[in-house]
Amino acid sequence: MGKRNGCTVIAGCGRLGASIAGKLSEEKKDVMVLDCDKTAFRKLPYSYGGLTLTSSATDMERLEAFGLADAAAFIAVTDHDCVNICAAQIAKEMFHIPKVVARIYDEEKIALVKEMGIDTICPSELSEKEIANYIEIGGGTHVE
Amino acid sequence: MWNKKKEQKNILIVGGFHKARSLATSLLKKGYRVTVINKDYEACEKLAEVTRLNVIFGDGSKKYILEDAAAGNCQVAIALTDSDEINLVICEMCKQFFHVKKTVALLNDPSKTNFFYQMGIDRVVCALNMITNIMEEQAVMDEMTRLIPVDEGRIQILELPIPKNSPVAGKKLWELNLPKEVIIGCILRGDQSLIPRGDTRITEGDVLLIITSDKSKLDQIKELTEYAAS
Repeated sequence: MGKRNGCTVIAGCGRLGASIAGKLSEEKKDVMVLDCDKTAFRKLPYSYGGLTLTSSATDMERLEAFGLADAAAFIAVTDHDCVNICAAQIAKEMFHIPKVVARIYDEEKIALVKEMGIDTICPSELSEKEIANYIEIGGGTHVE
Repeated sequence: MWNKKKEQKNILIVGGFHKARSLATSLLKKGYRVTVINKDYEACEKLAEVTRLNVIFGDGSKKYILEDAAAGNCQVAIALTDSDEINLVICEMCKQFFHVKKTVALLNDPSKTNFFYQMGIDRVVCALNMITNIMEEQAVMDEMTRLIPVDEGRIQILELPIPKNSPVAGKKLWELNLPKEVIIGCILRGDQSLIPRGDTRITEGDVLLIITSDKSKLDQIKELTEYAAS
């Protein structure tokens, strides 16, 4: 449906989803944001020029109707691990999207999607690294 | 059946309250060892009233809770939560981390059935599909004696009695010109059951057990026997 070739689909319009969408839209990239709650789209910046779609991130029929198969990247950043995992697996296995990323809070669930070629972002892991980094470098000078 | 009882299968049920309780009660009666996980404390207290039922309080989509429930010793895991996504993840974890032999997921959205199977879940139960099938059968098909959906309704088995004066009575099977999606699996005649062949003759009062892979052919079958007219 249409020429949505190479667009980026973001599932979940929370703080992270909305800010990624805003940045990509600023760079004149094609973006579509999904959220099942349409009031969530308020978080998008005024300048946002991409699409919004009120839909569950795992509703395969709607995603198909909106041509998800043509997307180049899929970013699952809803606030539920299970929804992110399920949405990312649908994107990868059913729509064969080349780049799929899921935010997963619970480190133990990362193994479920790792071998499917789905990339993961684990906030606690990232903070841990940053904090370790901070301690090593020794605060003060770095924080500036 | 006896074998199963001897080796005492362990079954894990995650989520659900009424469904979990009635399923667990029924499985316990059959001699299985059953563990349920529920993340609602009050629900756990009520579930604990069932004798011999192990109850674990916690979020079943967490690996350490599944560990507490000894998922590794279970042969079957059943995910009954309200969320399709959580059921998927629970089954995937049971499969990948604990090597549970058979995983069963409850599914609300029928369009995800194939996706769930593709993700390696052994059985997907779509309550909505089952209920609509049964409702449809009760509402529309009641003139036929019984209609049994198999494999989520992709295959239908039905009993079709041959009334008096039916145009097919006295005919051989190969003379019926049945559509190719339809076969007659068995003929019930009096107290005997015949496995029919092409030259088997149908007589009045027979009950045909018909198997079809295409629901829309049911009308054609009805026409064929003119059951509706009698």
